[in-house]
Order: sequence, then structure tokens, then C-alpha cells
Amino acid sequence: MTARTTYLDAGLREAMRALSAAAKQGLGDPALAELVQIRASQINHCAFCLDMHLALARKHGVSERQLDLLAAWEEAEELFDERERAALALTEAVTVLTDGFVPDEVYERAARHFEVTELAHLIALITVINSWNRLMVSRRIPPGSVEW
Amino acid sequence: MQYAPELTPRLEWAKLVPDVYKAMIRLDTAARQGLDPTLYELVKIRASQINHCAFCIDMHTKDALAAGESVERIVQLSAWEESRHFYTEKELAALELTEAVTVLTDGFVPDEVYERAARHFEETELAQLLAAITVINAWNRFGVTCRMTPGHYQPGQYK
Repeated sequence: MTARTTYLDAGLREAMRALSAAAKQGLGDPALAELVQIRASQINHCAFCLDMHLALARKHGVSERQLDLLAAWEEAEELFDERERAALALTEAVTVLTDGFVPDEVYERAARHFEVTELAHLIALITVINSWNRLMVSRRIPPGSVEW
Repeated sequence: MQYAPELTPRLEWAKLVPDVYKAMIRLDTAARQGLDPTLYELVKIRASQINHCAFCIDMHTKDALAAGESVERIVQLSAWEESRHFYTEKELAALELTEAVTVLTDGFVPDEVYERAARHFEETELAQLLAAITVINAWNRFGVTCRMTPGHYQPGQYK
């Protein structure tokens, strides 16, 4: 499979990187950040992003067990703690906006586990991975591609 | 007539995380380069409709009207497939691409949609269009998740 286009404006690329960096730094939990980014990429079917973030998750010490069962985290309670579960529920709601809003219970659950600045950065992270997913799927960047 | 009370925002994200807000502004500025502003507003309104972002719909319909867009073209936007004669072929291709990139969860961006857009936009312009669709999707996520309140936007407020 070849990319439809690898063109991306340099300024846009820089801004995307700045947004990613700000979100991740503010969240301050690299393993959780990878779980969130993988889950959104699963929902959005982004092969490039899955490939990249699965490798990063392993690098940050996320267990194979968690990675294997991430797509069914709700049914794998013993593998994900309450904070991770709250973050994953928020990730799904913010990613699947087309099904309608972000329910109060999902938002409030996240707000119980993350203080406001962390929560704002978590929302930013979910948003930024959704943005990368769109840029990669729409341009059909192959997984593992060095040019993107 | 008594309307329902206005909801308050959940989170004042732009004030809480100015680093993120500044990066979003940079992203928006980069995405709009080289795109026709009239087309850009149509794309922003349509994505915001699909994502149900009330704040973004308020902002972009007002911006479009202030820039001289017709009420008719804005009203017909949610049914553009049945009101094609309100739009140019290029705008229609962009709207179709907007929907495919916005509703990613339903599966990819079909070849025929991408190729139709590629017939109307040259490569760099098409990449800018994809970036623009991506960026309004990002604003929609902040708007909906943080429950930003619609109704108070004044055209040009953030310019």
C-alpha cells in the first residue's frame, strides 16, 4: 500500500508536534498516554498510529496483557485501574462524538480521577491523537512508514 | 416564551492550559493557508454539525454570514446531497471529504471520495483541506467535551 500523499504543511506539522508535546507533558503519565492514544487509534482504525503507539507503549513499560485486552478494557477489570478506566471511557466518548456528546457520567468519572489541569491535558491528548488519526488515515500513510 | 436555562461550561480549558490553546491557534492558522475562506467556513459548519458542537456552529455560521455567505447555503448544508445546486462541484467534493474524515469510526476515507476531491484540488491544496477538516474536528472535541456555551460569539472576536 502506498500513501495517497505524504504532503503536510511544515507549519502545521510543527503546530501538531507542539500540541502533542503540551498534552503529554501536562498529563505526565506516559504509559496512560499510550493507552489513550492506542484506544483512539483502534476506534479510528489508524494503522500507522497503532503501529507507532504500540511500540511506544512497550517502551514505556505497558504490559502485553494490557495491550492485548485494551480493545475490551470494560470487560477486563482486573487489568486496568479506576484511573485508567476513567481515562479510557473519556477517550471513547470524545473520539465517537458523532454518536452524540460526552455524557455527564463519563465526564464526571474522569473529573474524579484527574485534577482540572490534568483533565484539560487529557482532553487535549485525546483530541490530538484524533487529529493524527485523521491526518494519517485520510492520506493513507502505511504503518511503519518513515515518511509521513 | 420561557427558554430552558443556559448550561455552564464544564471546563475553561483555554484559560487552564494556555500552552494547548496557543498550539491550537497555531494549528488553525497553519491549516487555513491556501484555502478559500468561503469553502473553509462551509467545511467548518458541516463538521461541527456532524460532531454536534453547538459553540462551533454558533461561531462558524456567524462568521460565514459576516463574510457574506447566504442564509440559504448555510441552511441547506446539512442536506447538501439533496441540494447540490446550491454549491459548486468543488465545494461538494470538499463537503463529501469532510464527512468521510469526520466520521472515521465508520471506516476509513473511501477511495472514490478521496479521488473526487483530488480531481478538484491539487495536491498541496488537498493536504490543506485535510488539515482544515482535522483542525475543526479538534475544535469540536474541545467544544463538546468542555461544553463551551453557544450564543455569545461575535464575528471576528478571536481575530
